[in-house]
Amino acid sequence: MSANIPFFNPYHGQTFWGFFIELAQRLGALITGKLSFDQLVSDEIQVLVLIGVAISSALVGTFFVLRRMTMLANSLSHTILMGIVLAFFLTTISSSHEEGHLSYIAPMQTMLLAALATGFFTAFLTEFLTKTGKLQEDASTGLVFTSLFALGVILVTILTRNAHIGTEAVMGNADALHISDIFWVYVIVGCNVCLFILFFKEFKLTTFDPGLAYAMGFSPLFYNYLLMAQASATTITSFRAVGVLLVLAFMTGPVLSARLLTHRLKTMLILAVALGSCSALMGVALTRHVLTVYGIALSTSGVVVCSILFTYLCVMIVAPEKGLLTILIAKRK
Amino acid sequence: MQAKTEASPILEVNQLTVNYDKTPVLWDITLSIPPGLLVGIVGPNGAGKSTLIKAALGLVKPISGKVEFFGQPLKQVRQRVAYVPQRESVDWGFPVTVRDLVVMGRYGRLGLFHRPREADWAAADHYLELVGMASYANRQISQLSGGQQQRVFLARALLQEADIYFMDEPFTGVDLATETIIVRLLQQLRDKGRTVFVVHHDLNTVESYFDWVIMLNMRLIGYGLTSEFFTPHYLHATYGKSYALFDEALKLSKQKQAGIQ
Amino acid sequence: MIAQSLFSFFIDPILRAPTIGCMLMCLAASLMGVIVFLRKQSLIGEALSHAAYPGVILGVLAAGFLSIKESEEFSLSILVLAGAFLTALLGLWVIQALEKGMGVASDAALCFVLSTFFGVGLTLASDIQFSFTALYKQALAYLYGQAATMTDIHIAIYGGLSLLVISIIFWLYKELKVITFDRQYAKSLGIPVRSIDLLLFILVALAVIIGIRSVGVVLMSAMLIAPAVAARQFTNNLSTMFVLAALFGMVSGFLGNYFSVQLTESLSVSYPAARIILPTGPMIVLVAAAICMSALLFAPQSGLIVRLWRIARFRYICICENILKVMWRIDPKGSTSWQQIAKYQTISRLYLRFLLHRMVQNGWIERQKEDHYCLTIDGQQRAANIVRLHRLWEVYLANYLGVGGDRVHRNAEEMEHILTPEIESELTLLLDDPKQDPHHQPIPLRGEDFNVS
Repeated sequence: MSANIPFFNPYHGQTFWGFFIELAQRLGALITGKLSFDQLVSDEIQVLVLIGVAISSALVGTFFVLRRMTMLANSLSHTILMGIVLAFFLTTISSSHEEGHLSYIAPMQTMLLAALATGFFTAFLTEFLTKTGKLQEDASTGLVFTSLFALGVILVTILTRNAHIGTEAVMGNADALHISDIFWVYVIVGCNVCLFILFFKEFKLTTFDPGLAYAMGFSPLFYNYLLMAQASATTITSFRAVGVLLVLAFMTGPVLSARLLTHRLKTMLILAVALGSCSALMGVALTRHVLTVYGIALSTSGVVVCSILFTYLCVMIVAPEKGLLTILIAKRK
Repeated sequence: MQAKTEASPILEVNQLTVNYDKTPVLWDITLSIPPGLLVGIVGPNGAGKSTLIKAALGLVKPISGKVEFFGQPLKQVRQRVAYVPQRESVDWGFPVTVRDLVVMGRYGRLGLFHRPREADWAAADHYLELVGMASYANRQISQLSGGQQQRVFLARALLQEADIYFMDEPFTGVDLATETIIVRLLQQLRDKGRTVFVVHHDLNTVESYFDWVIMLNMRLIGYGLTSEFFTPHYLHATYGKSYALFDEALKLSKQKQAGIQ
Repeated sequence: MIAQSLFSFFIDPILRAPTIGCMLMCLAASLMGVIVFLRKQSLIGEALSHAAYPGVILGVLAAGFLSIKESEEFSLSILVLAGAFLTALLGLWVIQALEKGMGVASDAALCFVLSTFFGVGLTLASDIQFSFTALYKQALAYLYGQAATMTDIHIAIYGGLSLLVISIIFWLYKELKVITFDRQYAKSLGIPVRSIDLLLFILVALAVIIGIRSVGVVLMSAMLIAPAVAARQFTNNLSTMFVLAALFGMVSGFLGNYFSVQLTESLSVSYPAARIILPTGPMIVLVAAAICMSALLFAPQSGLIVRLWRIARFRYICICENILKVMWRIDPKGSTSWQQIAKYQTISRLYLRFLLHRMVQNGWIERQKEDHYCLTIDGQQRAANIVRLHRLWEVYLANYLGVGGDRVHRNAEEMEHILTPEIESELTLLLDDPKQDPHHQPIPLRGEDFNVS
């Protein structure tokens, strides 16, 4: 599955603004057909994948934040590692694949299935500890994900015989992305977008007022599990690019920023998607810029998360109603 | 207020029992309510008033008993029943405007996949006007006071245009002006032949608000015309007994079921 | 053999620093874990440990700029710890600001700080990879913990810090107790609750950064949660909880390090080319989780297995008492046939035989010829008491509370096995020592006199 990486990378040597100019040109060429998909270079693949991750995470993240389930999302992003191990046991490693890389342990279909199973298992186990184990919720969440993740790291290290595997699981490896990654990320983006359009009012109602939802004949439980499934799918398709932990940044940062800018749910979703995508774009451009100007190769996913943080800080200051500037001006009056 | 007792009952509860860990906390509730009434549900705290509503709506699974609306199970007549839960059960920081919240009342009727239509939004505006909250239509719900929140909740219920309304403690933490508006609207509903059930905690206003009362304390003490049943005799039976031993036994039973020493 | 090699972990100059170091590091975390657990803020450790990571990297960067070499353990450790502490506190401050200032929900604030700070840390780490490649390994060591490269200097540093944490807990013990159990009351006593809160948060940050060298940033929160949860299963007493949590934490640290070393060795034998070094963190967490799971299952009071056993035993007692009751009702002093007993039981014949056998052994019934059984004196007393409780409860429900119907009897069937002598006394008092139940059946008197039939 190797792509035809051109000998010459047009982004090499570009600075920040140059990056966007080059990107716009190549996008134009792509649309008019002068450029084909297999001629995409790593920077563009990164841009596309990261924007896809940002879209899915913003959509799913909005509902996790509103349902106060973000810790479960954090938990999921850790336990998914066990899902990957599970996928390993479900398939055999073909020797032609690059050994020792987390990304190629198993085909994506298997990983998706394993991820879904892990997602449900995580939710179930946490609930079990809380209800039957009579444990307080924060403690059971923490116990579940740390022990499963620890087990996952050890198993993965032994199975792939690579000591750095744990690091890659957590950081991702944006520079090793292939064109095939784009496919899966956007399949999930498509699924998420469709599900949220189809079930928009159902998600809205079950999040806001589950009692009334049930009385009206909707099932809050169903939508809970659906969200878990969507989060699992989003996390597993994203981990190659950003690693498991940073998906949480994509799920919380843009959502919190959007929340400050609007009090309508639909606007919030759109803004979160937009802000997340911008951060992704900015992150890739910045990484290229730093590489060109200073010669330092920073982790792309890390820079994108920094950009998410920066965006939130900016929004926090300038937001119309709750922003710090507004409050300051109001106090002066 | 003459109850049209000859008309067929809109709510029939038959031997409804709700358990908490093998011990009933609602015992064999049997009642039959005719249409066109404002009914107050009264009883001490923990008497099962909210539980009764929740069991009727299926939010809580009873251990036995049957509930029928208009002679049919709830599933078939959902659109004729409206539910107004307690205000605390909802996150008022949720990103919706007042208008958005009210239009949720139509979600049941719209069914899966369909969005609210122009007519639904117009109706929402109409009911907002009715409760006196039209000027708040585009405000974020977190900006509302307790009384305003309750009025918006009522508008949402009115939008359902149901025949039966269940309201759980609508007057808790609400200012007098709001309470008056709400009561007036409920009475208008009653005059149009609808039936409204209200879980109520203020004994002082029961006689002036409600046509019928349901006196509840784990079991049904009595129900019917306020003048007949909201009397010292029944009040004593509802509020006068010591349930301390029952609660203690209930606690012990719960421990035994959970295997705790 | 095992004992010998375990002991060597404390003596061997290479092994002792990691071993003792891990134990000390987990100690501080376990103690602070008890406090956050009781305040229901267990996940603060997760946010703090991830927030500490950029600080670790900054410390390493500072070391790089100051041209400190890998071998200068002391300076390196100090820089890293200082950096970690600073960013952890910064993270704490941001969480508070988000919650109080921006109205963000607490779980969202924790997750936001956790992920974004960690991302910043990863970005900085990728810089180090190129700028100060020699120190990059140090940066990675803090991700999952790498105790193997610790020296005696580390023991000194971490030991000192742990001692600091322990002394503060000791000094503030009674204030902590009051604040945790009844905050309002503590305020009314004039205890400076807000200042102590602040101090506690700082201590948690300190405990977290002490631990991240051995357990790593990603998994550190486990050492705050698991030992505390395990300790809680065994006791309600705060000081005992501290002691047990400390014990569990130290055992986890020791065994985690031990297994990590053993596993690395056996792996290097099987796959010498790969040169795998297992990080210590995951192993420590697995041991801690195993201890916690065992506690949750087997702890004498609240362990799940223990509770299941108690439930089964209660059911067993109920069935036995029902048998006594049936025999008493048929003929208190005479004998009852096997068929008559079996008619009222839903259990299998074999089990019934077994139960009757046990009851004979325990002295409640006697076996007579032709498959008949009769109650012993003790049996009669116990049966009469059950019937008394049943009928008293029926009077309470039906006559006093006014509850009606068939359910009264069914509930009494459950309650007769549960009511204590104290409740029985209170019932007798409240109901004015009734002599008949709602079905006009006589209620056996208290104590020995059961001649009423």
